[in-house]
This record gives sequence, C-alpha cells and structure tokens, in this order.
Amino acid sequence: MPTVSVKRDLLFQALGRTYTDEEFDELCFEFGLELDEITSEKEIIIKEKGEGRAKGASDTVLYKIDVPANRYDLLCLEGLVRGLQVFKERINLPRYEKIIPAPGEGQKLIITEETVQVRPHAVAAVLRNITFTKERYDSFIDLQEKLHQNICRKRALVAIGTHDLDTMSGPFTFTAKAPSKIKFKPLNQTQEYTASQIMDLYRTDSHLRHYLHLIENKPLYPVIYDNNGVVLSMPPIINGDHTKINLNTRNVFVECTGTDITKAKIVLDIIVTMFSEYCEKPFSVEAVEVVYPNGKTHVYPELAYRKEKVKPELINKKIGISETPSSLAKLLTRMCLKSQVIGNGNNLEIEIPPTRADVIHACDIIEDAAIAYGYNNIQMTVPKTYTIANQLPLNKLTELLRLDLAAAGFTEALTFALCSQEDIADKLGMDISATKAVHIANPKTAEFQVARTTLLPGLLKTIAANRKMPLPLKLFEISDIVVKDPNTDVGARNYRHFCAVYYNKSPGFEIIHGLLDRVMQILEVPPNEENGYTIKAAEGSAFFPGRCAEVFAKGQSVGKLGVLHPDVITKFELTMPCSVLEINIEPFV
Amino acid sequence: FTEMPTDNFVESSFWNFDALFQPQQHPARDQHDTFFLQDPAEAVELPPGYAAKVKKVHAQGGYGSQGYKYDWRAEEARKNLLRTHTTSASARALYRLARQEKFTPVKYFSIDRVFRNESLDATHLAEFHQVEGVVADRGLTLGHLMGTLRQFFTKMGITQLRFKPAYNPYTEPSMEVFSYHEGLKKWVEVGNSGVFRP
Repeated sequence: MPTVSVKRDLLFQALGRTYTDEEFDELCFEFGLELDEITSEKEIIIKEKGEGRAKGASDTVLYKIDVPANRYDLLCLEGLVRGLQVFKERINLPRYEKIIPAPGEGQKLIITEETVQVRPHAVAAVLRNITFTKERYDSFIDLQEKLHQNICRKRALVAIGTHDLDTMSGPFTFTAKAPSKIKFKPLNQTQEYTASQIMDLYRTDSHLRHYLHLIENKPLYPVIYDNNGVVLSMPPIINGDHTKINLNTRNVFVECTGTDITKAKIVLDIIVTMFSEYCEKPFSVEAVEVVYPNGKTHVYPELAYRKEKVKPELINKKIGISETPSSLAKLLTRMCLKSQVIGNGNNLEIEIPPTRADVIHACDIIEDAAIAYGYNNIQMTVPKTYTIANQLPLNKLTELLRLDLAAAGFTEALTFALCSQEDIADKLGMDISATKAVHIANPKTAEFQVARTTLLPGLLKTIAANRKMPLPLKLFEISDIVVKDPNTDVGARNYRHFCAVYYNKSPGFEIIHGLLDRVMQILEVPPNEENGYTIKAAEGSAFFPGRCAEVFAKGQSVGKLGVLHPDVITKFELTMPCSVLEINIEPFV
Repeated sequence: FTEMPTDNFVESSFWNFDALFQPQQHPARDQHDTFFLQDPAEAVELPPGYAAKVKKVHAQGGYGSQGYKYDWRAEEARKNLLRTHTTSASARALYRLARQEKFTPVKYFSIDRVFRNESLDATHLAEFHQVEGVVADRGLTLGHLMGTLRQFFTKMGITQLRFKPAYNPYTEPSMEVFSYHEGLKKWVEVGNSGVFRP
C-alpha cells in the first residue's frame, strides 16, 4: 500500500474544517484509507538518524495515510482532499476539460522512429497559467515520485518530465541518439555533460543510480529536444536544467514517455487532473498534438469519460441492501462516479472520470456503492448454502497420528520448511544433486536456499536449540517435504512425512523401533511381509553402519530408521547419540 | 466447509497470480516479496484452454471487464515460486468446480503454509500459515460474507468486528476485518476478504 505524507494543517485547511485525530481516522476508515502514522519531520529524523541530527527540522504535524494500491488519484494532497470532499458532499465533482488550441497555436510533440527500440511511447499536455506556491510545488514533485514508484514501476514503464514552457519553444521532438551525441546540463548541475558522462556522474547518486540500467546498454538513448535544440530531458534518467520549473513558472509542459502506452496515458491524466485545479481556468488542460513516425497524429491528454450502465437491482443484490435507484445514484456520485437514473427508473448510467482508471468492471462500481453506503451499515446474514463438511483424508490421518504420538510420550515440533543446502545434503553425508531438492533463486539469507526434502534437519536443529532441557529429548513432526517431480504440472510436489527423533545418553534404537511398531499398530498395518510392513537391514549415509533399517509397507519403501552417524550428530552441533525414524505416511491414507 | 487439498508449496505464477487477475507488472511479483525457484524454474504445463482465457482478460478484458490492457506473456506465468497465499489452492479448487458437469454450491477451507520473501523480525516470518475459506453459490451478497466472517470470528471468541474497504487484485468488493484488542486498546486487522471478481 503506498503511503502519502501530508501536512495535517494544510489538509484541514483544504478540507475546510479541523478534525481530531480520532475523527480523521474514522473518516479514513470509512473511505477505505488508513491513517498509518501521525508524526513530524523532526520525529522521522530522530527515528532514522538520532536526536542530534534533528535540530532545526520542522515540527509540523504530518499525517501518513495508506492509500489502496489501485487508486492513483489519491496519491497527493489535492486528490485526497477532492475525494474526501466529494465523499462528504461538500463539493461537487469537478469536470475536467480538455482545451484544444486553435490550429497552429497548440504545442506539438514529434516522435521519431529511433525511439521504437528503446522507449516507443510518449504523451504530453500543457497546464496553462498555473500558480504555484511552495506547498503546491512540493506536492507536484511528490506526486511524480509516487507515480514513478507505483504505476510506473520505478520508471521502467513510464517516466514523467515536467518543464517550464516559457523557457523553451515547440515543436518538440522525442528521438533517440547515441550517448556520445547527447550533451546538456542536467537538472541542478553547473556544466554540460554528454550522456555517457551523465551515466557515470549519477552512478553513485543514491536516488538516480537505480534507473541507469533501464537505458545504459542500449545503442541509442531517448532524448527530448525543443525547436532550438535545447534538451528537455533524457528519460528516464534526468531532466535538463534549462527547462526546470520554479515557483514563478506559469505554464507547464508535462510529458510522459515509456514502454506501456496504457499506463502512460493514465499517468498523464492523473497529473493534469490533479494539478489543473491551480490553473487560471480550474480543471482545464490544454491539449498537445503528438505526431507519430508514420505521420498519424493523436491529441493528448485523453481525459476520457467512460459510461457504463448497471442495473440498480444488481447492485442491491450483490451487496445485500435495498436502496432506491436514485439513492444509489447519489451514493455513487459521492464516490466520484457521477450517476443518474435512466430508463423507466430501472437502470443507472454511471460516468467514470479519467481519475478513476481503477474502475474496469461493474463489480468496481458495486464496491464503491457499498463503500458509500458504509460497509458497517450492511446487514450481516449467513448464506443459505447447504453443504456437508469434509476433512481432507491426508490431514485427518495427520491429526489422528499427532494425538497418538503425543500420547506415546513424544513432543511435537513445528519447523521451517526452508533450509540451507548443507542441512539436507552435506550435513547428512549426501550430495545435493541426489536429493532432488527444489532450489530457490532469490533467498534473502543462506538459511532459505532450498525447500526441505526431509524433516530431520529441522528436528535436529530444534534439539540443538534446546540442549538445556532435561534428557531424553523425544521430538516428532508430521509435515510436508518438497521434492522435484516431473509428473506434476509445476515440476514439484509435497509429500507428508512423519519424523521422530530420540536424543539421549544411549541411542535408544529399540525405542524408535518400538515407536514404529506402535504407529503401524494404530494404522492397523500387520507386521508381516505380504500385506503389512517389514524392516530390512540397509545402509544410509546419515546412519551408523550396521544400525540402519529400511521400512517397507504397501509394496514400497516408505522410509528409514536407525541410529545417526556421529558425523551427522556433530555437524548439527549435538553431542549425544540419537536415533531417528522417518517415513512417508501418504501410502497409509 | 470441506477441506481443500493444499499440499503443494511449489506453485506456478499462473495459479498464484495470473489466474487471480494480478497483473504481471504488479510489485508483489517482484524479487523482493516472492520466492522464485531456480530449480525447477518453470512449470511444465499450464491448462491450455484456461490459460488462453486468462491471457485475454488481462490483455483485452472480458466478462464485463476492461482488463489491464498490456501484453500478457506465458513465460512470466510459467515461473515457479513458493506460493505467497493459499488463494492459489482456492483458484485450483474453483477451476475443478467449474469443470464439473453440473454446478453444486460448495464451501471450502484450508489451513496451510505460505512463503514470503521477507526479513525476519518480531512480527514477520518468511513462512507462516494462512486460514482460507471460500463459499461458492448463486445469489451470494456482501452481507453474506460479513455474516459468515462474524460467525467464524465469534467461534474464536472475537466479537467486536468492523469492516473496512480494501483492495485485492482478485476481489471486488474487498474488506479488511478489524477487531478491537482489549490488551492493546486499539483496532487490529484480523483478516482480509472479498467477493471474487467475475
């Protein structure tokens, strides 16, 4: 969930009233937001860097609000305020207008074919006669960063650039050139650099170095020029210094370039709808003509209003309420989905604004109606579905066995299913390739490299952690292990294993053998060769030679039991003899 | 409620994400949050007819939805991982239900292990257990979901509940369930729920 940080007092000023923290928390809860933290810049610095560095930091109270991941229109103060005010019916939904300039007067963005290989799409718009204050400017920059982190997937899908239109002149060209041929002064730098030098310059920059790889190894880098060869930006890395925006900027040129055209359009729409509030003609955006390599043109921003028809009975039915069509229309309008009753009063027409790109299905509309009604106002009922309950046979067997094993004096353990390679191979005297283990590609630590193929390491590690407990230590676990299996659709499967360990001054082979006999007795498997179980002497790399046996039942080998080899015991940091039984219980289901 | 089979820790991205309408560019599919597998790295097969339907809904929309409108790639769906939620088992169970000759209403549940690639701390483990329940029938409403949840939590002694709007890629409406914790004197999240998207 993305978190938006807003200054509390600014927020209340825009909302037109103050709230206590509890009242605001309640409001957020209703709307679907979460007031995560109430803090201030000073407190943040104290937490991260210590008391000393916090001198002079601001004390203004900050609200950190968690916003649902699919609501790009709530990622800035302007959007939050607008959403909440419409929700509380204090303002009407603004209508976003696209102004198409007279022919010859509007701006043009020309895309050349070189961009196809590296960053094919671009969209743009102009915010005319906008007034910035320090807060609005900060919010503008913050929104771009938030969008970059979320929908733009760290600038990989879309990158945003905003420029002072009065410092440049169109038409603008979006093209791609070899790194050595691109030269400009990047934002906040004092001299010009070529693109390759820029890559080196920002290699150590904590913020920008993460984006270098997006274009670094391409033969051509994307770049946007104005009519006079001034560089607007080299997406997705950095803008040019020449066109940077300051508090006095009046006309802003917004461009979004990227590899996903749908997301680029959504991002552009969000930025202009949010900040056109501060234009001289509020909520109006000047369109820009984008010219493609094949000569076709398209006008952006799209600012599309989509209409969808939903029957009121459907909404009522799906939620479990019964509201009249006109009250449903009112509820939806409160959620920024302007609705009206049409037909003979038996249908609703909903207009989805460009800020609500998350509404892609009637069920999204139904959810918004439910939120406006108030989830906690819905009557709770239990479905009349009549079904007969069943436990999965494998789990039923597991549960029954667990009780009886505890009755036999063994203590249950619950251990991690992920472990290191050594745990299932080297420490048990085996080679890792013989284990058919499932390997993890991106473990955070060495403790999670593979999925366990045996329950033994987990139990032995548990004993090692409990050395101070009185002897004998008798542990068991019935849980899943994972092995590769080419016959399944994913290439691996789980087996339900049962493992018991006896740790004492003397190995206690007879005790572990007795446990096996007891388990077979409970499972009603007789101790004979034809239709029951037997054990035969065997060899095992983890076992003491001459003290290992293999268990056969239901026509197959189901596991082993025996005394552990001293090497194994030492490798798990234990000091006393240990006997072990491990079998697969799936054949017994 | 009947127990669903969940005995597969290894899952393909298809069942864990794509079949649940989680887009392929979603942050949760990142290296940081999910355990991807080196070996076996890719699923051997995806259900052919169903995979084509999933591709269409992601890329172009369908069943009343606008879809996400991006290029859906089968290689991405093939990537194997350790499941991040037991909802992938629910998806498989619902798929099996859909292929039955005649639809029967069902209630499923499962309690099993899931894996998330996180650093361990006081409130986070890399592997933990999830309890999951699914009800499938005609004419179910959000009120039914809330009622079922209330009964479930009451059986465990949790009676003070509030529901909050939330977001999951695969459910709409979605709700987070909060309960008042006497000891901490605040509302804590005890569950997540929703109505599956058509």
